[in-house]
Amino acid sequence: MAESITTTAAPAPSGSRAAVATLKNTFQMQNWVLAGLFFAACFVFPLLPFVEGWMVFQGAFIIIYIMAAQGVSILTGYTGLVTVGHGAFLAIGAYTAALLMKYTGLSVIPGMIAGGLVSAVFGLALGLVFLRLAGAFMAIGTLGFAFFIGAIVNNVPIFEGRTGISLPPNTVFGFEIDDFGFYYVALVTLALTTLFVHSLIRSGVGRAFKALRDSDKAAESSGVNRLLYRTLAFSISAFITGVAGALNGLIVNYISAEVYGDIWYSVDLLVAAVVGGSAMLFGPFLGGFFVAMVPFYLEELADFAFILKGVALIAVLVLAPAGVAEVVARPVRAWRQRKLLEAGESPELADAPGPPTGGGS
Amino acid sequence: MLGQLLMSGLAAGSLYALTAVAVVVVFRNTRTINLAQGDFAMMGAFLALIFIKSLGLSYLFALGLSVVCIMALGVLTERLVMRPIADSGWLTLFTATLGVYYILHGVSGWLWGRDTKAFPVTFDPTPIHFLGTVVSEGHLINMAWVTAIGALLYSFFRYTKQGIAMRAVTDDPETAQLMGIPVRFIVMLTWAMAGFLGAFAGILAAPIIYVAPEMMDEVLIKGYVAAVFGGLYSIPGAILGAILIGVAENLAGGYLGAHFKTAIAFVMIVILLAFRPQGLIGIQKRREV
Repeated sequence: MAESITTTAAPAPSGSRAAVATLKNTFQMQNWVLAGLFFAACFVFPLLPFVEGWMVFQGAFIIIYIMAAQGVSILTGYTGLVTVGHGAFLAIGAYTAALLMKYTGLSVIPGMIAGGLVSAVFGLALGLVFLRLAGAFMAIGTLGFAFFIGAIVNNVPIFEGRTGISLPPNTVFGFEIDDFGFYYVALVTLALTTLFVHSLIRSGVGRAFKALRDSDKAAESSGVNRLLYRTLAFSISAFITGVAGALNGLIVNYISAEVYGDIWYSVDLLVAAVVGGSAMLFGPFLGGFFVAMVPFYLEELADFAFILKGVALIAVLVLAPAGVAEVVARPVRAWRQRKLLEAGESPELADAPGPPTGGGS
Repeated sequence: MLGQLLMSGLAAGSLYALTAVAVVVVFRNTRTINLAQGDFAMMGAFLALIFIKSLGLSYLFALGLSVVCIMALGVLTERLVMRPIADSGWLTLFTATLGVYYILHGVSGWLWGRDTKAFPVTFDPTPIHFLGTVVSEGHLINMAWVTAIGALLYSFFRYTKQGIAMRAVTDDPETAQLMGIPVRFIVMLTWAMAGFLGAFAGILAAPIIYVAPEMMDEVLIKGYVAAVFGGLYSIPGAILGAILIGVAENLAGGYLGAHFKTAIAFVMIVILLAFRPQGLIGIQKRREV
């Protein structure tokens, strides 16, 4: 694709095309190395001498939040459909895994997959029902869905309402695992979902998502099947968040409507996507970290934590309206573009557009 | 029984209507889904409670004072939070109002505690027979207030220069600006109106649902559902949506059981949006949000 355009642009200095290609490869390698280093650091983290048990538990929690926010980013960041209802998919994943574990004795990994799949089916249905919704209407519609699922887990007997369901210890391949082991299960899952999202957004499917985001009319008139790609985006997004939900329930061996019957998860996940920057791969990492670490549930701090959370949220939005990831990436991107220009890349190509500010259609 | 349920629905719906109208007014002039609307109401109720209890003011005086304070709070929100990011996408604006929501929740909990407080003016349960149904006097008074506010809003939008300018900004902010309408001032006025409606919503609801930081959370969500029902751009639509939801809730509560009372609004909105993505009487806006 790049070649066909460079030939029509201003004639580049001879030999520059190879240099540009090498440079692009280098940049890509740098990205991979950075991602590899990050995951290596996460892998080593629980083994460090000063790290205590609760930190590992909190780490697993952050990982789960990141994963759930990744699910939101597929819809909100890449497809441009703002969802305020992803807590529902978290709940569906959690309850699927928990009920399967309770009644059939399924272990963590099959529970996770089942949670993701059931969640994806609900995602598919919601995508069909809300096929024509856009913008704020989508936000309110998905919020309605979250409330609806909340009402169901609160009131239908099998979900055991606010009493909750207690679960046996977790096992993986027949071995019992503690928080320490669970951390690694979550980490490996996160690596897989990250790799998946990475390949997805660079594939034809991902390009169709982005085309729908940027203009659904233009996308449709150039042959993007809206029905197919919107429901696909909903299903994939719900799958990832459902997997995170299964982990979220299993890590504490207990789920109840007290936690999943409310809409706070939905709101938190949207905040994670917006704060981190949902149209970039590492946006959910920053956002998930932000949301999991702000002490929302600290009893003594409760009111003050609320104020802090609000101030932090507004500060981030004023300073980085397109998310923190965008601000972090901006100098890197500028530096790389300069390098590309120096290497002889034609200016209009080097001036590749960044992710859109804000989001939504 | 049907008539009775309709009447109770009308009473509940009239309280949702204040929030729904405020939601519409802010949304159509600023593209902002204002999650802090319920907190404006909550702060209004708290202030009125303090004015009456600690300062010993009369109900009407406390009401007026609290309305003015919350209008100032609305303007403050616009100046400090919304104006710096006014050009961002609607999702950013929406998330920022969530920040305001957290702050106001935190401030009220911090200052006045999380436990529910009784409002010093008690709800008057005296039954009044009206069109073959029974309705308590408190509800009738509230409905009278809401009707009066509705009439006030109507004449504001119809007859005053500011009201007409506000409608012009709704229709097309850029043209309005070019025609010499001070759009910034109008946006400020919009937030003041949100505060005005919020304070009334809080104070009128306070005797029924008590006063606590999260007192308006449910009303806010219902107000939103009502606003979307009316298409998010139409004030009469929002009022109609609010009344529909109030009535549907009471019908579901009466015939299906209490569990369904809160869920029905969301079932309604999901079904409605599935078939009419632009709301019940939605208009196709030139610029989609």
